[in-house]
Amino acid sequence: MSSEQDHLKETDTEARFDFKQKERSAVRSEKGLTEEVIRMISEDKDEPEWMLERRLRALKQYHAMPMPTDWPGQPDLSELDVEEIVPYIRPDVDKREGVDDWDELPDDIKDTFEKLGIPEAERKALSGVGAQYESEIVYQNMQEQWEEKGVVFMNMDQAVKEHPEIVKEHFMTTCVPPSDNKFAALHGAVWSGGSFVYVPEDVTVEMPVQAYFRMNSEGMGQFEHTLIVAEPGSEVHYIEGCSAPKYGKHNLHSGGVEVFVKEGAHVQYSTVQNWSKNTFNLNTKRALVDADGTMEWISGSMGSKATMLYPCSILKGRGATDTHITIAFAGEGQDIDTGAKVYHNAPNTKSTIESKSISKDGGRTNYRGLVHIADGAEGSSTAVECDALMFDNESTSDTMPYMEIEESKVDVAHEATVGKIGDEDIFYLQSRGLDDDDAKKMIVAGFIEPITEELPIEYAVELNRLIELEMEGSLG
Amino acid sequence: MSTTQVHANLTDAQVREISGNLEEPEWMLETRLDALEALETLDMPDVIRTPGRDWTNLHGLDFEAFVDPLNAAEDKDQVGPEDVDVLSWGDALAEHEELVREHFGSIIDPQENYLTALSTALFTTGTVIYVPEGVDAEDVTIRTEQHSRSLFNYTLVITEESSSVTILERQSTGTALEDEQYYSGIVEIAAGENSYVQYGSLQNLDEDSYCFTAKRGETDTYATINWIEGNIGTKLTKTETSTLLAGDSSETQIVGAFFGHNDQHFDLDVKVWHRAEHTTADLVTRGVTDDTARSVYEGVQNVGRDAWDTSSYQRENTLMLSDESEADASPKLIINNHDTEASHSATVGQIDEEDLLYMTSRGVSPRLARNMLVEGFFVPVLEEVAVDELREDLETLIRERLEN
Repeated sequence: MSSEQDHLKETDTEARFDFKQKERSAVRSEKGLTEEVIRMISEDKDEPEWMLERRLRALKQYHAMPMPTDWPGQPDLSELDVEEIVPYIRPDVDKREGVDDWDELPDDIKDTFEKLGIPEAERKALSGVGAQYESEIVYQNMQEQWEEKGVVFMNMDQAVKEHPEIVKEHFMTTCVPPSDNKFAALHGAVWSGGSFVYVPEDVTVEMPVQAYFRMNSEGMGQFEHTLIVAEPGSEVHYIEGCSAPKYGKHNLHSGGVEVFVKEGAHVQYSTVQNWSKNTFNLNTKRALVDADGTMEWISGSMGSKATMLYPCSILKGRGATDTHITIAFAGEGQDIDTGAKVYHNAPNTKSTIESKSISKDGGRTNYRGLVHIADGAEGSSTAVECDALMFDNESTSDTMPYMEIEESKVDVAHEATVGKIGDEDIFYLQSRGLDDDDAKKMIVAGFIEPITEELPIEYAVELNRLIELEMEGSLG
Repeated sequence: MSTTQVHANLTDAQVREISGNLEEPEWMLETRLDALEALETLDMPDVIRTPGRDWTNLHGLDFEAFVDPLNAAEDKDQVGPEDVDVLSWGDALAEHEELVREHFGSIIDPQENYLTALSTALFTTGTVIYVPEGVDAEDVTIRTEQHSRSLFNYTLVITEESSSVTILERQSTGTALEDEQYYSGIVEIAAGENSYVQYGSLQNLDEDSYCFTAKRGETDTYATINWIEGNIGTKLTKTETSTLLAGDSSETQIVGAFFGHNDQHFDLDVKVWHRAEHTTADLVTRGVTDDTARSVYEGVQNVGRDAWDTSSYQRENTLMLSDESEADASPKLIINNHDTEASHSATVGQIDEEDLLYMTSRGVSPRLARNMLVEGFFVPVLEEVAVDELREDLETLIRERLEN
């Protein structure tokens, strides 16, 4: 479908995601990872000493760790040369902390986010929006009603200065330490931008807050850090979206997400990832969940050349709950290796994982999941369900779950199925007057419906449109 | 690189002596010597690894202590019906050298890993089963009782077109042995066109022993290989049971049952490679872990690019009887052809409290109720065991374990 002779249809949605702006930068770091580059980033941000120290420690750990290359069936990272990546580009905007009025943004950046539909969505349905361009947040706004209740939604660099105590305690300490993996260490050294969300005790933020990340420059790396602290009894829904145009060189996205779900709190974290097909997307996302807290991860992985992403919940308090809902769609040349990790470290904890994947035109999807039930986590239960749909014989779909069970009073179930798109289903739909393409789109929409119905409506619509475009082979 | 160095104690001369005793031809000696030499560079078989953790620690095995190839001793029965050749290695080489040469090491590469190479270099006992075209045979029995610190066993099964055979293999340990022992067994099955092989194995070695086995079959067109894999004994077992479905419309079923108690460790790999069209696989394993026993299960269904119209199913269920036991599972699906229906599932749980309550309220003692529920748990697997004798043996061993 996406072979070379295919006519690439110009559609609205395609134009939304695959356009480029001229690079505009005030500060652009050297390529590669050296102490000088790290010091330059930290200095440019006017950071406190303790943050620079954390960065330098992470850099050391990064250099000491080997690339992960020995996982069975993992994506090929040989084309990724971190030393060729530009880790930091500060866009040329007037205010360092970002503006709170879209009109204050330079026209081309504003234009970018308008094409992506962010200002529109903010007016309609969101409590707050942060928008990151390259390495920095350029727009940040939070509706007053939430600010009055003490909810904080600001860019991460600013939070380092304005909420140093909270950041010092939570930033890459107990949740995602840089020593966790090579890309967490990389992230710890060069992180820039991202969101800080703080929700005080018993406050419910009824409308989602959203951050949108846009990578525009060729050969850059984006390393935004998201830190969410939900105090006891609070509730918040955070949405992130991301995109980048396609260039010849490889881009690297290596974000870090840390979520602290305190007692009885409820955090939902939704992502629709649509990086361009030259991007390596290697993230570490993790939540620590206290007693009776609930963490929900919802992700749609559409874009990137290679993705390695396994959002993780550590259920450390009695009665904590985790939900993972993931959709992966891999087209030509894509390797989406994604899944879920859950550690049940306390009694009566519960997790459910639902994963759907679609592969076509030689794409590969893999579900790689780990469920660990520690000795003493009695009364815990987990159910994992993975379904894969394959379009053609060039595509690959794997399922690699791992279950480590150290406690007997548990209920653990994993199920996975793989099937091809049903000839009979297509025939039936065709006999009702649909053409082959529409029939396939409809079958895919039905296949992923259990997941899209969990998403906020704007996201469900966006995801469906992205999948339709993917099936037409018209996304870059 | 393997960190376990055993070849310091092993010499060409020892391998030549083993080979000489079996009156082997030159090509076989060469294969052994090559395997011996390769030990320097080969690694242990793959085990499941997650960051920071090997699920089974084979590097902890102390080969220095128990590999003693020149003093191998065993009691062996290898019998079969008249129209099937059930032969010791020496007899097989005398009668069917060309056949052995064609198939030996063709299904499991002698140098696949450190332990297969060790087995190839050092095996002193084994069986060749040759079923001629059109012969239907039941009741081939191989019984091996280990009487030495280490024992290396090699089994080769060759079935010609449209034949069928049922083979039962049992391994146990002699009573006179003290200290730790090591048992290593390799089984290769070449199933000819439209032939049917049922291979049942019951491992009930002493609980001071370590066991490595690799059992692999390859099917020609329309052939079937069914495995039954029972694991009861040993301190540590690492075993792979697998089928390469190489011929169109061939089939395999792998049925496994295990029961671990005390500090037993079972690492069980069940694998199937779909490499031809219209092939079918059904993998079913059930096991129980008690005390501080540990089970590690890896099931792989690998569907190749040309394996059109594949059906592949896998189920694994573990019942945990104690909080200190551990049950790890990784059922993997690797799918390269979209014309596939495949599923796998794995569950871990304990005995249902309501079932227990119901039974004790009817006057059954808690202990008996537990035993009945465990026996009941194995029923779906035992029902799949098509060989009566093996099923009864397994039932007896499970019952004995429950009563101890």
